[in-house]
Amino acid sequence: MEFGPILRSMRRNKVRYGLIVAEVALTLAVVANCVNMIRDARRQMAIVSGFDDDNLIRVNSRPFAPAFKEDGYLDNSVKKDLAALRALPGVKAASNTRFLPWQGGGSSMETRVLGSKGPMQRNQVYNADEGTLATLGSRLIEGRNFTREETESEALRIRQLFASSRPSGADGMPLEKISQDIIISKAFGDLLFPDGKALGKRLEDTDGDQYMIVGVIDRFYNPYGWPIHEYVMFFPNTARSYQGGAPYLVRAEPGRKAALLASIEKTLLAADGGRNLQIQPVSQIKERFQSRSSLMVTILSVVIALLLFITSLGIVGLTVFSVAERTRQIGTRRALGAQRGDILRYFLLENWIVTTLGLALGVVLAFGLNVALVSRVSGPKMQPGLVAAGVLLLWIAGLAATFLPALRGARVAPAIATRNV
Amino acid sequence: MLFHNLRIAWKSLKRNRALSVLIVTGIALGVAVSTTFATVRHSYAKDPIPSKSDVLYYVRLDSWDPLKPYPGADATLPPTQVTYRDMTEIMKSNIPRRQSGMFKTALYVYPDPKIGRPFRETVRLCTSDFFPMFDVPMLYGSGWDRKADAGPEPVVVLSREMNDKLFGGKNSVGKTVRMGDREFRVVGVMGDWLPSVKFYDLTQNMIDVPETIYMPFSFLKPMQLRTFGNSDGWGSSGGLSGFDGFLQSETCWIQMWVELPDRASVEKYKDFLAAYVLDQRKHGRFQRPLNNRVSTVREWMRDQRVVPPETTAMLILSILFLGVCAVNLVGLLLGKFLARSSEVGVRRALGASRADIFLQHVVECELIGVVGGAIGLLLSVGALLFLNNWLKTIATRGDFFRLDVPMVLLSIGLSLAAGLAAGLYPAWRTCRLAPAVHLSLQ
Repeated sequence: MEFGPILRSMRRNKVRYGLIVAEVALTLAVVANCVNMIRDARRQMAIVSGFDDDNLIRVNSRPFAPAFKEDGYLDNSVKKDLAALRALPGVKAASNTRFLPWQGGGSSMETRVLGSKGPMQRNQVYNADEGTLATLGSRLIEGRNFTREETESEALRIRQLFASSRPSGADGMPLEKISQDIIISKAFGDLLFPDGKALGKRLEDTDGDQYMIVGVIDRFYNPYGWPIHEYVMFFPNTARSYQGGAPYLVRAEPGRKAALLASIEKTLLAADGGRNLQIQPVSQIKERFQSRSSLMVTILSVVIALLLFITSLGIVGLTVFSVAERTRQIGTRRALGAQRGDILRYFLLENWIVTTLGLALGVVLAFGLNVALVSRVSGPKMQPGLVAAGVLLLWIAGLAATFLPALRGARVAPAIATRNV
Repeated sequence: MLFHNLRIAWKSLKRNRALSVLIVTGIALGVAVSTTFATVRHSYAKDPIPSKSDVLYYVRLDSWDPLKPYPGADATLPPTQVTYRDMTEIMKSNIPRRQSGMFKTALYVYPDPKIGRPFRETVRLCTSDFFPMFDVPMLYGSGWDRKADAGPEPVVVLSREMNDKLFGGKNSVGKTVRMGDREFRVVGVMGDWLPSVKFYDLTQNMIDVPETIYMPFSFLKPMQLRTFGNSDGWGSSGGLSGFDGFLQSETCWIQMWVELPDRASVEKYKDFLAAYVLDQRKHGRFQRPLNNRVSTVREWMRDQRVVPPETTAMLILSILFLGVCAVNLVGLLLGKFLARSSEVGVRRALGASRADIFLQHVVECELIGVVGGAIGLLLSVGALLFLNNWLKTIATRGDFFRLDVPMVLLSIGLSLAAGLAAGLYPAWRTCRLAPAVHLSLQ
């Protein structure tokens, strides 16, 4: 092997080889950190909600006709809307709920296990009717679903209870406590009851009001500003008001979503024209929520591609120059009996040594940069496997970039050695 | 002399076109990537209201749960907004030159039926001070006066866009608009007002355009308006319910701004707030440690993490990217210059000094830097166009990322610096070569 001559030649051209070492090192550091960030964004985007996101449609009825200010009229309108939605061909299920997957927030409250003296735990909270679970596509793993009668009677009861202020005691809490049945997510149940037996247990909130767990669903994930993405409780109630409107979720049969998106507005406006409708597929809300992550993936991928391109250019440049500078030397070696393969091997080996030195330095830089980013800015910790993959990639890129110029060097005719002397 | 050097440099670039294209491409990509990410970060981080940022202050009070801090990334911070009770009390202070509590709601607007169906619009409730406090430009009329705050008089200020929609862009001052259950009289139409980030309400959608309709805060009660922004509550409801219960509750939902003209008034105002909180404590509220914040625009932006951390990470990576491009350039230039050593030998032999050779090569590098930088700047304009287009999918505006004067200067500076940094060593190496060595190769 030609280690000796190569190392001696490198020692004579420290700066030129040093530059490639630095370039390869920086490239590895940047590429490894970019890929690390891409993987983190991809992981975020791969989280499943537990709902039939692709077939869900959000429908928001926003009344302006004064008739909607009357409770009876509003209730009736919700009932008529649900019947109209469910009667549409291609609708699998429909529900009147304020819950909207993937909007990046929602509403929350604080509860704890009844009788425990522990701290309150924050969880998401939404109303549900008898169709909410079927609409979302959530699977009930324990207990029961809400019924239509329950939804309506609870709506009336809660409305009456909160029509005026409740008398409160010395502790500032309402004297008369109320109790409601709730359905919770398994993750929330496991958090409150590590033994996994949540069904039939009771919770209390900051007013001392109670909640009895009557059902548990398998999965729930809705990104929230606070780390309570998987903790939810649903309570039976309708969702409608004059100012806030009436929100619905509609689940389409597979392949029928596009047709429904076009027909829902006409159907509901025909039922009552004193309002505007806002209709949006949940997949679009999800895309919007994930758009920052997906943009990151795009940008970082472009940066990686450009960087590899630039570095390859640098290596090509170095080899072209190396070859040009040593044309006569190559001619001499060929004249003295060296084969083309020997010349090719010489340049490949030379570049391999330079690249490897750069990569060794780059491994250190990659981890250093990651530590700096994690502590000063944000981001996930570096996976050692990624750096290893980066090393492999740059080795291959380095050899590939060397190959053509080196091949040209190997084609130098022995006769060159005798010219120009 | 400079012209002569430039001519030689240009000739030299033309001689080996392929290599020159590679060299210029490298520097263009480096400048494009770093300019783009610097602009992205700068768009979030820059002062959104430079004319007033030294006198505007955002007010927060820690009225949160005694048992635990307000949830968020930084547990030392008080809630992001204030309660209605606290707002009404601290607004009684006459220390601030101007002040406004504010929030956004949604109301139905009923345009002339010839124009269209009723539509729901986001409306901001604020005091008359909002417009002079934030230097809002007015196209027609003006904001309302303090008398209208107290009335409250049914007056409204429209954005230019809303005035275009409702009145075809004509001067609508004095005309009426029906919103919700009553008629409002237009007193002013705003000119174009688009702060970089919506600094006055950083609790949600901070890069959206400002609201299109503004009305006196005091309509809160008569119209029973609810906030459509964030509202954070804690603890027992105390049995209170309904609209009055909401106003009496500890729910934080109002953004509070004051204009304090000098240091002394800032100190005085802080003392006033401390005294207010200590007084409230006697009534059982504010059981947490005293933690009032009278924050400048920049402090408020920092607390709300307006600059997304990934933009900082990207900026760091892009600077390293430019570093790689520069290192790459050093190698390519070194090759290019040394390959031309015979020409340098001839010039030296004919009497050119080392300084001449050095200067000529540096000029060539700067030429490369300028050409590459110009192409890079164009590329980053394209990249920012792409990003602005993307932004339309998540915000109400598509002009957020702007290549402003400081960023163009930065870009030019970066290209010159990269050209110089990459060119110095190769130029020095070239001018150090002895003429005889160059010539002997001929």
